[in-house]
Amino acid sequence: MEFAYLLGGGTPTIKKYKMAAGHAAGIIVLVPAADATGLTTSTTTGMVDAVGLTLDAILSQGAPVAYSTTQGAVEHLQSVIINSDAVFKALLVGSAANAVLETRTVGTASSNGLTVVGTTGDTDPSSPDMDEGTVWYASGSNGGASRKITSTTTTLTVTVIVPFSANRIGDKYHTADYTPGTEGVTLSTNLQNVRGEIAATTGRMSCIDLNLNGAGNSSLELILTDHIWSGSALS
Amino acid sequence: MSVTILAKREFSKREVTAAQEAPGKTWGRTAGSWVHDLCALRKVITLCPLCTHKFNPGRLGYRKEKEFPFVQAKCDGCDTFDVKCSAYFFEATYHEVRSTAADRRATKTAHRKLLAKSM
Repeated sequence: MEFAYLLGGGTPTIKKYKMAAGHAAGIIVLVPAADATGLTTSTTTGMVDAVGLTLDAILSQGAPVAYSTTQGAVEHLQSVIINSDAVFKALLVGSAANAVLETRTVGTASSNGLTVVGTTGDTDPSSPDMDEGTVWYASGSNGGASRKITSTTTTLTVTVIVPFSANRIGDKYHTADYTPGTEGVTLSTNLQNVRGEIAATTGRMSCIDLNLNGAGNSSLELILTDHIWSGSALS
Repeated sequence: MSVTILAKREFSKREVTAAQEAPGKTWGRTAGSWVHDLCALRKVITLCPLCTHKFNPGRLGYRKEKEFPFVQAKCDGCDTFDVKCSAYFFEATYHEVRSTAADRRATKTAHRKLLAKSM
């Protein structure tokens, strides 16, 4: 995950915090858990009481430094961007292990452009449900065009209201269950990317914008919706 | 006989979190030695306008954050909170947490070329 910009403009605020473990760079950290020695890591869907994004890792001369409670060992500090209106850019991936997003292929042409129908072998877009998400083309006459999905069916079909141009069999496209305003992400196992192959869930981040490119370089712009320094109630 | 009531203070999560901020270098330690230790650990270095000219980022494999000319932070050199600090990221970790406009433009251009080929 990258720090992209601040919603209100201006300068970001960076603080160095004590950590409860050695965290990777580019992940969300949370308020200290009870009896922990510092900020704790988020989980793939757990971002309640978030503090911000780590900006550096715990490395020494290229080798990871083990978190240590041994007397005399260095204390673990990591820089965190703590603005509650910080917008983060996260890559859309197709699995917990960061595989690329599924590329679907048009199997039945749609002359009116109101549906996009996949090919047998593509994942059923209604399970995990991509309804209320976004569909975008990666090739063909609609290449680069996107629409909000208004319904999905088990027949590999996603429906839109504002029609695309007529497509043709073999055109490539992608889907993700996100549009601006969608809340609830599931992060990949390394906590740095967003899983686009499953439906939006409970992770407390909301989508501000989508950067729609290809299978391996599309991303979401996200904001934390349960940030400790925002006005939200602490849980 | 007087009665003393001991009321245990309940710290809020915000107070606990704020208390986790690193205190900076220990008393008596020189700024240069502290900053070089942070550099060895590849931490983000934040320096105020009075300290920033003493730091040579290129020599230590660091790059200055230029999309945000300033950040609000405590200076690693003089431990003063300043709203016009410069931030320096370790070159190898920069792209894990930041991207430049040139990077984003290159991604878009590459994708547009792919789309043009598929027409």
